[in-house]
Amino acid sequence: MPMVTRPQFLPGLPNWSRKTFFALALTFICFAFAFPVLWLILTSLRPESGVYYVHRGTEFTLGNFKEVLSQERIVEAFINSAVISTLATIFSLLVTVSSGYMLSRFTGPASRMWFGTIYIFRCVPYISWVLPLYFVVQSWGIYDTYVGLLLPHIAVHICFFSWLMKGFFDGIDPSMEYAAMIDGCSRWGAFIRVAIPSALPAISALAVLCWLFTWNEFLFALILTGNRVPVITVVMAQFVTEMGLHWNLMAATAVMALLPAFLIALFGQKYVIQGLRI
Amino acid sequence: MQGMARWAIAAAAAMTITTAQAQVKELRIGYQPSPIQDASIAMFEAWGAKNGVKIVKVPNSYGVYVEKMTASLTSNSDQYDVIWHNDDWGQTWAHLLEPTDDVDANKFAEKWGMDKIVFGNKDGKNTVVPMGQTFSVFFYRSDLVKPEEVPKTLEQLVTVSKKLQADGKVKFGYVGGMSMNHSWFSWFWSMWGNNCDVLQPFYERDNAKLAAAGWKSGMTDPCMQQTVEYWWDAINTHKIAPRGMPAYDRNEANAIFMAGDAAFTVADTLWWGQFNDPNKSKVAGKIAAARFPLGPNRTKPFGWDDIWGWAIPKSIPEERKKLAKQMLNAMMLDEEGQVKMFKATGAPPPNTQFWPKIAEQDPFMKLLKEAVLDSPDKVRGAYYFPQWPAVHKAFNDTVTKAVTGKREDIPKVLAEGAPLVSKAAQ
Amino acid sequence: MFGEQQRFVLLLIAPAALLMLLFQVVPIVIGANASFRDWALYNPKKTWVGLDHYHAVISDPAFLYVVLPNTFIFMVVSVAGALVTGLALALLLNRPFPGQKLVQTILLVPLMVAPVVAAIMIRWIFNDQFGIANVVLEAIGLEGQPWLVQRWSAFCIILLTDIWLWTPWFTLLLLSGLQSLPKEPFEAAAIDGTSTWRVFRYLTLPMLRPVIVVCVVIRAIDAFRTFDIVWTLTGGGPGRSTELFSLYAYVLAFLNLDLGRGSAAAIIGGLIILVLGVAMYRLVDRIAKA
Repeated sequence: MPMVTRPQFLPGLPNWSRKTFFALALTFICFAFAFPVLWLILTSLRPESGVYYVHRGTEFTLGNFKEVLSQERIVEAFINSAVISTLATIFSLLVTVSSGYMLSRFTGPASRMWFGTIYIFRCVPYISWVLPLYFVVQSWGIYDTYVGLLLPHIAVHICFFSWLMKGFFDGIDPSMEYAAMIDGCSRWGAFIRVAIPSALPAISALAVLCWLFTWNEFLFALILTGNRVPVITVVMAQFVTEMGLHWNLMAATAVMALLPAFLIALFGQKYVIQGLRI
Repeated sequence: MQGMARWAIAAAAAMTITTAQAQVKELRIGYQPSPIQDASIAMFEAWGAKNGVKIVKVPNSYGVYVEKMTASLTSNSDQYDVIWHNDDWGQTWAHLLEPTDDVDANKFAEKWGMDKIVFGNKDGKNTVVPMGQTFSVFFYRSDLVKPEEVPKTLEQLVTVSKKLQADGKVKFGYVGGMSMNHSWFSWFWSMWGNNCDVLQPFYERDNAKLAAAGWKSGMTDPCMQQTVEYWWDAINTHKIAPRGMPAYDRNEANAIFMAGDAAFTVADTLWWGQFNDPNKSKVAGKIAAARFPLGPNRTKPFGWDDIWGWAIPKSIPEERKKLAKQMLNAMMLDEEGQVKMFKATGAPPPNTQFWPKIAEQDPFMKLLKEAVLDSPDKVRGAYYFPQWPAVHKAFNDTVTKAVTGKREDIPKVLAEGAPLVSKAAQ
Repeated sequence: MFGEQQRFVLLLIAPAALLMLLFQVVPIVIGANASFRDWALYNPKKTWVGLDHYHAVISDPAFLYVVLPNTFIFMVVSVAGALVTGLALALLLNRPFPGQKLVQTILLVPLMVAPVVAAIMIRWIFNDQFGIANVVLEAIGLEGQPWLVQRWSAFCIILLTDIWLWTPWFTLLLLSGLQSLPKEPFEAAAIDGTSTWRVFRYLTLPMLRPVIVVCVVIRAIDAFRTFDIVWTLTGGGPGRSTELFSLYAYVLAFLNLDLGRGSAAAIIGGLIILVLGVAMYRLVDRIAKA
């Protein structure tokens, strides 16, 4: 049996120039992708007089970080954001795994209706419901509380994640669950002991994405929180003032907010790629 | 750590007060962090410490301040006792706010800014207590331009700028914000300085009179065409302003000015402090201010003057309204705090009685007093009906389209925009 | 048996349905209700006006001839751009090479930063005075451009930003899909000496079809309602030349404080994308099958 080789990249060219071209192209792509964030990091290190003309002058300072970290609200906001992102991830997955499972395993009017509902509500633009959501959250007395921020964050992922979860379960052979049921497992038993474990890669993939989405979410946080539950994106938004933008502080905060997201992405990408199969 | 310690002391102090008075009194302030509001709240806190009232600061994000506050006011929620108020939405909120005519110290407020057209409710009662005067002035680089050389007309602005640029002193003559919600910093002042305005009759702010005129816009008046053509020429022909300027907000314009790349700009007096702060600005100490240059249609200088203020929501309980009014009254009389406010911000404080004393010591205040505060020819910075944001946007969209298009199309674009501006007002 | 199954089915979706009801359905119904009423945010009279708001939006030339075309152009280019870039990068990352892991991490960078902050950064990068884009252009002897005052360059920057923001998402899904494809057909093709392009066209692409269809439809719906980055980058300007549908609704509801009219605009947009989404699902599915 002949060796199986992968089809080659640009087969017409000699090996060394192909490799050089490949390396150059890769470097360029990586640079282009990382550039706005690299520039943001550079910005955050400039003194306030140089945050716009980043290329002009060579003074660099950690002063922006110092100033940001001296505000107790920011530290509190980091903790809040982390807690809310984590809780939202856990609860989002709890409710969407079962909903996606239902969509995948059952056909019939109930399933079609649920899918239709999910689809319709996925199409409604945020603009039309953040403001009424503010009224609703306020009238239930959960405005500017953890719960009032957490529950809408869970709700907003339902459509998207149910849809993706359905895709994952579609890819998993249901015969194992039937076998388990024949062996005397209840439907719940089959779901929890057989289906969920086999969907774990997908669940961890969604967990990573959900965490990142919630961590960077702006609009809800802006509308649904006041002062008691500062989260990191809102604190950042508060650097936009009637007196203009405190861009140096905003950049420094954004760079700090990048760190947890970077770690999650760094260690989570393996699971995402293994699991995100629809 | 220091912050924590301070907090602990404050908490301990609050506890003693609690036991002494048997009841916690507190007032919640809905505001937007900025030097002028911070300085005003510092006066609240000074009063609160003396009178055993806890001041709870609730900062809001600028981007959604009006939306959220309006929603909060109409849903009769009990979130704030005192809120930041601004002339732009004076009439939008008038019916939702507690009248403040019984705040005695309001008699020391400046009359123009407190006009009933701006803040009066249906019964003709005022609904604001001033926080400070806010308006823009014409800033120039005192190291490049002598006071007597400062342009007095828009035409001189071009010639002086061209000369400075030709001499290699500066990259651009003028820079200023122009995009939506920053129209003031180029469009509005140059328009007013050319005897022109968004709606007709010009400079009229009485809604009844504007309605009687059919909300006719000023877009098709020759003065408007002149104004747009002026900026078109400044950017494309004379090149005294950056080509990207029609898309600038004030952050971009101020960044360029503070980097030393422009000789002139228009910005709120509040920026005086920032422009002169060497940590923030490369041109610190080289700044002076003057009156706005005028267009060919106007010979008499004008000042533009508005106030920011504090207001009390109608829906809060009586005793808290009373307490809030006491606090605002005390703030109006707090001379030390108001002098501090001016030093920190460059915004003239709310009590007119303190102005002469500040002006004696501070040349910038002296200029503001002469050029704006005491000027008989004042212009109001906004219109005072709820559709004003829509009118402003229709105006800005039209002039932006005109100034970024072909020069010969300017009259056509303005004519197309005129009905949109009128329609937005109705 | 039937009753038990039904109970199971309902219990599976009950928590999700309850949350959706409380935090999506209720507010959306309130918004929809407002769209039939005289409901200014500062003065909610709430008197019934029927379809007046809908009529006003649909008969607004700016909505029909500027906003909707812009939205469609944006949706098509942004989704196609992110799909093509994402697919190319996924194919690239699917082969082993030194530093593959590093490249993969770097390509995920757009997912890590808050989109609004990224948009502000990109706006400054393209400022004609202090933006690095022009500084670089001028350094190599080209003329700097006032990017954000010209309609098409402003539009291109919005599109580039959106594609940049969403490419990682496509890359991840497609790479994941690629790695789960069965090995045998590819091995057979390699033995037959099939060209790279033919392998891609007749093996990879058809097998990725389900992933692509879902990605495209979900992304298209989101692209249609894109708001924050456009608002930050251009605010719909210069003039209204880059205004998208969600900005149109935002200006009505949040700037003009007219909740009724703003809700009507949002619902019209929602209906359009609803119908379009179904059509697109069928179309993309058919194209991919062919």
